[in-house]
Amino acid sequence: MKPVAFDYVRAQSVAEAVAALTSSGGEGKVIAGGQSLMPMMNFRMVRPSVLVDINRIPGLDRIEERGERLHVGALVRHRMTASDPVIGRHLPVLHAVMENVAHLTVRNRGTFCGSVCHADPAAEMPMMTLLLNGGVHVASPRGERVVAARDFLLSSLTTALEEDEMVTGIALDTLPPGTGWGFEEFARRHGDYALAAVVATMEGRDGCARNVRVAVMGVGDTATRLPGVEAALEGQRVDEDVIAGAVERLRAEIEPNSDLNGSADYRRHLAGVLAARVFRAAWTRAQEGGAA
Amino acid sequence: MSQADLSVEMRPGLVGKRVKRTEDPRLLSGNGQYVDDIKLPNTAHVAILRSDQPHALIRDIRVDHAMDVPGLIAIFEAADLEGEVRPAIPSSRIKGYYATPYWPLARGKVRYVGEPVLAVVAESRYAAEDALALIEVDYEPLPFAIRQVDAVADDAPLIHEEAGTNIIIAREFGRGEVDAVFETAPVRVGAQFRMTRKTATSMENRCYLADYDRRRMAVTLWTSSNIPGIVKDALADSLSLPGARLRVIAPDVGGSFGGKGSLYHEEMLVCALARKLERPVKFTGDRLEELTASSQAFDELIDAELAVDEEGRFLALRAEVIGDIGAYSIYPWTAGLEPVQVVSFLPGPYRIEHYRGRVRGVLTPKPPTGPYRGVGRPSSTFAMERLVDMAARKLGMDAAEIRRRNLIDGEEFPYRTGSGIIWDKSAFMECLEAACAHLDYPALLERQKKAREQGRWIGIGLSCYAELTGIGSRIAVAPGMPINTGTETGTITIDSTGSVIGAFGIASHGQGLETTLAQIIADELGCALEDIEIRQGDSSLVPMSTGTYASRSAVIAGGVAIKTARVVKTKVLRAASILMDVPVEDLDASGGIIRARSSNAAMTFKELANAVYMQMGRIPHDKREDLTGSESYDPYLGTACSSCHVAVVEVDPETYGVRVTDYVVAEDCGRIINPMIVDGQVHGAVAQGIGAALLEEIHYDDEGQLVTASLADYLLPLATDVPDIGIVHIEADLPNNVGGFRGMGEGGTIGAPAAIANAISDALSPLGIEIQTLPATPDRLFRLVEQSRATHLQKGQ
Ligand SMILES: Cc1cc2nc3c(=O)[nH]c(=O)nc-3n(C[C@H](O)[C@H](O)[C@H](O)COP(=O)(O)OP(=O)(O)OC[C@H]3O[C@@H](n4cnc5c(N)ncnc54)[C@H](O)[C@@H]3O)c2cc1C
Repeated sequence: MKPVAFDYVRAQSVAEAVAALTSSGGEGKVIAGGQSLMPMMNFRMVRPSVLVDINRIPGLDRIEERGERLHVGALVRHRMTASDPVIGRHLPVLHAVMENVAHLTVRNRGTFCGSVCHADPAAEMPMMTLLLNGGVHVASPRGERVVAARDFLLSSLTTALEEDEMVTGIALDTLPPGTGWGFEEFARRHGDYALAAVVATMEGRDGCARNVRVAVMGVGDTATRLPGVEAALEGQRVDEDVIAGAVERLRAEIEPNSDLNGSADYRRHLAGVLAARVFRAAWTRAQEGGAA
Repeated sequence: MSQADLSVEMRPGLVGKRVKRTEDPRLLSGNGQYVDDIKLPNTAHVAILRSDQPHALIRDIRVDHAMDVPGLIAIFEAADLEGEVRPAIPSSRIKGYYATPYWPLARGKVRYVGEPVLAVVAESRYAAEDALALIEVDYEPLPFAIRQVDAVADDAPLIHEEAGTNIIIAREFGRGEVDAVFETAPVRVGAQFRMTRKTATSMENRCYLADYDRRRMAVTLWTSSNIPGIVKDALADSLSLPGARLRVIAPDVGGSFGGKGSLYHEEMLVCALARKLERPVKFTGDRLEELTASSQAFDELIDAELAVDEEGRFLALRAEVIGDIGAYSIYPWTAGLEPVQVVSFLPGPYRIEHYRGRVRGVLTPKPPTGPYRGVGRPSSTFAMERLVDMAARKLGMDAAEIRRRNLIDGEEFPYRTGSGIIWDKSAFMECLEAACAHLDYPALLERQKKAREQGRWIGIGLSCYAELTGIGSRIAVAPGMPINTGTETGTITIDSTGSVIGAFGIASHGQGLETTLAQIIADELGCALEDIEIRQGDSSLVPMSTGTYASRSAVIAGGVAIKTARVVKTKVLRAASILMDVPVEDLDASGGIIRARSSNAAMTFKELANAVYMQMGRIPHDKREDLTGSESYDPYLGTACSSCHVAVVEVDPETYGVRVTDYVVAEDCGRIINPMIVDGQVHGAVAQGIGAALLEEIHYDDEGQLVTASLADYLLPLATDVPDIGIVHIEADLPNNVGGFRGMGEGGTIGAPAAIANAISDALSPLGIEIQTLPATPDRLFRLVEQSRATHLQKGQ
């Protein structure tokens, strides 16, 4: 369990990092927190010729309010996403979610953007990026482009990132104050990758759910939004019947895989159970928020 | 000679006190020394090319590309060591048993994924792995049966052709008229129980370093082993080296739980290679190797049935067991270690007149099963305790009450079980009552009733068991194994400075034996705890040693510590008598000071040692003797250590997640040497048992590949999975051994899986679900609930 030999470049700027990736001819890899990359290198599943370390690039370690959006820089650690007051103000749901990501040591190093680049189907950050209509800011020798989350996350461990590109940050929607939210995940042990997780947000206006967003993870090749389920809740008084309908919809829309930790049948069942809890919680909060 | 302050009371004994572990300052400050911390100049590093095939002939090995890797020293295959290493043969007295020979590298054929095929030696492990990646091995795959039910078939492909069968071990125990009693029994319960395969996973991976001394033509092996003595004897034979030129040292060892308690290929290998290359050779296993190529555990299919009368009295028990022993019979314990103990311990602490247990151990292409904390008994207790609850449920009887009616008690001791185990008097019943009292059992039942009314699934599970510990030479700790593990030698020396050095054959690897043995010696000898150094884990300390396993060390090493300390104390007092001019009968020692009872005369051990060794003429030359003693101790029989566990669980009725909310252990380990250490052993072992009950499972797919090859898939319990554990110590009648100790390092893993399985079954009892397979994963519970609902639906229609 030792990596193959590799070169190491400590980039001082995004331009330098991109240049190093380019000159590696597709053999280079960005290292951020290293929490997913290092294990894969030790297993020799990934064999980069050069590691481009972005940890010393100034300015990437911030969460910034940019108009209606929050910009999460490439060096924002899980620990920060889990505790930053700006996130707390605009996206309390993200705080709740981050509590389920790994353990303190991993959270101190792992980055939000690194997780999205890694694109594990059971990782929370890609799911949240989808939920919050994330725009992935990508730098390359050709300049900068912004890729929508749904176009960025292609499948398990696969993204739309080109070999000479790096992610500089991800822009996320903020949610209006009083937006209701719910999040549930089930893992074999606390901090493990989840067998299934469901997140939803909704505003409560005129006794109905508005702007409903629903995303799931762990139950398919990638985290995903569920437009059909969102539609089933949109504009509704979210009572038990509506919830049952939405859950049924959700179970029909997902295509979970079987693995050691859970069969597809169990995961489908589980996702429905969690969804019902999430919809109830989101609706309750939405009503409290709407009243406030 | 100093005058002792008479106002200071004679120090009360240290045995029974929560003495802080003397190991901890070095271990907690990062000053422990594990094998990998030992760096010898010019060390070569080994990476092992392991089989990626479950069962195959090795056709061709091509190493050409690998030879060019910078830093490569050499690549060895089995043929390169032919004539230099003899196999270790795990022999046994059991009739019909076949002992699979154990070689450092596979010879011509591989028998499990992970089996060592080639040793790649380089200047660094990095270079070794680079070279390894360039080696090509052509295998000719052979057919195989990966599941034990298939491997026992007459036409199953053979793992060892020489054996002529895959069933290399079989045993039957029993007495009475089992089948006849079953015929007429009013109540019968039975099921097929399965304790899936596990592995020990200690924090420190296996690690070996061998050094070759050209001058003496001697080999020193540092090994992360808990049986350095056994490894030494095996290697002396395998390498044809006299014991004087072979020393095996287990320095600080970061846990074993049984996984470091057998001889390993890599131990043989580094010694052979160090001798061949005439330089130090190190192997540091990684987690992948730990999971694919260390000994594994359990994996029995237990078909068991219990016959009970209307009052809940156990009438008869019968069982058929198939143990999946993997591809080799483990050295030295043999393939009988795990499965045979399942049938020998199945009757548990209960009065059961009629018993028959049959077991077959079958070869499959997997790493061998070997010792794992609790050995056999976690499986047997799981099956038996489940049967007990199933019978209680059928009779509508309370789970504690049915146990009360069947536990061996009072005048029935010593009791011989249907399999021939003898239980000396131990607090079977008292443990049950104490555990129930600690949790306020009636109140707990009430709480459960209320919770059920609210739709919550809360379950209570009991488990009672006894284990045989501190086993002397009368019985082999592994059935049929010819090595004597029942004797322990101890040497205690007071040196010229007054230091007390105790040397033993045990090999502590986390149990705190340096502390507990020092407590015992301090009490018996009367010296100060601070003056004692315990040496252990080194084959050169005593003439013959084995190590620490099978809950033996406190009992047997503790016993020899007492015997030896008494001998040395006699010498101390004899010398003091001369020096102080006080009759021996008037002297006693404690806390490092020797005092006269009838006067103020006193002297310290330091003064005494100085006088005895250094000061000419203080003791007449014909009376002077060294302050040293060496004794051996063999308790001959073993002693029962018993315990009752109660677990309370809550099952989420939707996700099927299980949370252990309350836990109590009441245990009788005889005279308690250090309650803090006993608590720690119980906590750790219960945590391990929670892992076995809810999380841990080694899984091989139909292709014979291990799919749980990392700790992301082989799930160990985390702190968040372990509740607070209440512990009740019961010191009832002391066992008939020198110290009155019972071994207690393993117990928690024995009781916990059964208690939790019973608690989950209790929680799910409204659905008629009985847990038969562990771990009880959410997915398994989901399927059980679905099946149960489907059946009820059908019945309802
Ligand atoms: C024990 C453990 C438990 C874990 N549990 C969870 C969990 O419960 N939930 C969860 O979601 N995750 C979990 N993780 C994963 C963790 O969140 C990782 O930190 C995260 O997936 C990757 O972030 P990183 O910064 O460490 O990325 P790295 O490991 O450094 O990189 C990961 C991949 O992304 C690429 N990359 C990283 N940053 C960039 C960038 N800016 N531009 C382009 N490419 C980039 C790398 O080249 C690499 O391919 C766990 C990890 C461990 C070790």
